[in-house]
Amino acid sequence: MADERQQRLQGLTDFLRTIQKPGKAIESVGLDESLVACGLIDSLAIIEIVMFLEKNYGIDFAATGLDPDRLATINGILGVIEEVRA
Amino acid sequence: MQIKQLTQFHENPAIIAWWCARLGWALRHLTPFRRRAILAAGAVWICFKSTVRIVIDNSADLAGPADGIVAGLLVALALVGIAWLLYRAAAGFSSLPSWVRKHPQLSLHSIYWGFLALLWITLPGSGLWRQVLAGVALIFPILVWRFAYLLLSGQHGRMAGTRFSDHLLTLWPIYGGSNTPYGSGFGYLSRSEAKTEAELARSQLAGIKLLLLCGLWMVVREIMEGTLYGPGNELTHKLGGYTLAVPKLGSLVAGEEGGSPLWISWLAIYCELIHEVLRHAIRGHAIIAVLRLFGFNVFRNTYKPLLAESVVEFWNRYYYYFKEILANFFFLPTFTQLGKKLRNWPTLRLGAAVFAAAFVGNTYYHLINLEMMMVKGQILEALYLHRSRMFYCFLLAFGIFVSMLRQQRRGGRALASGAADRILRIAGVWTFFSLIFIWNVRSGASFTARANFFFGLFGVA
Repeated sequence: MADERQQRLQGLTDFLRTIQKPGKAIESVGLDESLVACGLIDSLAIIEIVMFLEKNYGIDFAATGLDPDRLATINGILGVIEEVRA
Repeated sequence: MQIKQLTQFHENPAIIAWWCARLGWALRHLTPFRRRAILAAGAVWICFKSTVRIVIDNSADLAGPADGIVAGLLVALALVGIAWLLYRAAAGFSSLPSWVRKHPQLSLHSIYWGFLALLWITLPGSGLWRQVLAGVALIFPILVWRFAYLLLSGQHGRMAGTRFSDHLLTLWPIYGGSNTPYGSGFGYLSRSEAKTEAELARSQLAGIKLLLLCGLWMVVREIMEGTLYGPGNELTHKLGGYTLAVPKLGSLVAGEEGGSPLWISWLAIYCELIHEVLRHAIRGHAIIAVLRLFGFNVFRNTYKPLLAESVVEFWNRYYYYFKEILANFFFLPTFTQLGKKLRNWPTLRLGAAVFAAAFVGNTYYHLINLEMMMVKGQILEALYLHRSRMFYCFLLAFGIFVSMLRQQRRGGRALASGAADRILRIAGVWTFFSLIFIWNVRSGASFTARANFFFGLFGVA
């Protein structure tokens, strides 16, 4: 279970690196820190995160509804994935 | 002391500690519960006062057996009743019918259009019920986006532990606002609410900072109006009456200023942009400052839009809470609903979502703001009245879409960081918004007159 979460975290971190703003180390961002407020990504990046989750985890936000605040932190995104997997 | 330390005084631990020491008793007394209670009591006052005023002001069109004050009180009671029913619906969101759960916003707007339809098919003077219903329909657009946030809280499972009075404070905000709810709904406010004395002190200091900024921008606006627009400004008189006498964009597009030199026309469009930004900043700062004084340390409504380097960045910073309405109720729902159908066409999907928000949503928002025309069923007339604004919304949507695509395609790569590059990007954003404002500025000018003015800027008469 912990391994699975670690793998998801790694996958998510790798993805966030591809859309993040330059000059900010993703490792310095706390798991519960707002990704937008800390300057890692801009608010537009939420749609990239949505598409990432749809593609990699088959999440259908049209059915589950999208709460942007839940995608604001790394732990929040992992929570959304875990909810769907459960 | 460095400038940054000075401007960020609300983050300085020593100043926060000083504030706590001086006002500790008050901060302790003003618990979140009491702060909310003050705002909720104010909300009840505003609800009845503003509703009665609106009904009396429109009494000629809201004819019925009751006089203005009685009708106003009945309308206010009906609106509080609707608010309470929506609160109950949000609190028990999971037990609502599946269509309503899936489309809560469409359901909400269906109620509004149902009220309108009922008014259109009945005759004025049909009785007290119709008089009250007309009053409710007249005021509904002021509340509809606030109701929308209430339902959104229910949809996102954020109603637990909240009371009706908590939501009431955002429905009839004593801190002011327009049809756009500054600070969004209570769900958003509560996430930024100060829980400790230190957090409250920090929030209040941030509020004081905004009040100072608000005052500063008011002075800047006065100077701008005096030196650029004049005359009739007290400051202009003090400066010996000197003014550039730049015409207001609204009168320029209407052709009220005769033939102005080209450079004056260009100056006028940039001045209009700056003036609009100042107007939003002054109003928004004053409102958000009050929220922060009450411990809700929420985002500003306007945050340095004139330094934005892309269209989408400007739009995000110019009128944040209006953008939030469009994003929450039009952009994100469209984007997610199209997930299956347009998964392989991400650009088309993005474009559809942007146009749903910046064009359709923006137009719809302003259409229902013509409250009395809606009540009277003058939909086509209202659309015709808004034809220039609709074109503005179209251009805005197109600009945001292109800007988003550019940003997306750039990925995480940095923009050229030289001062000249930055100035060029900022100038591009100013020019784009200044030009599209030609179709947004308040003026009696027709669509064609605005188009002629636009082409005239490029020497094409």
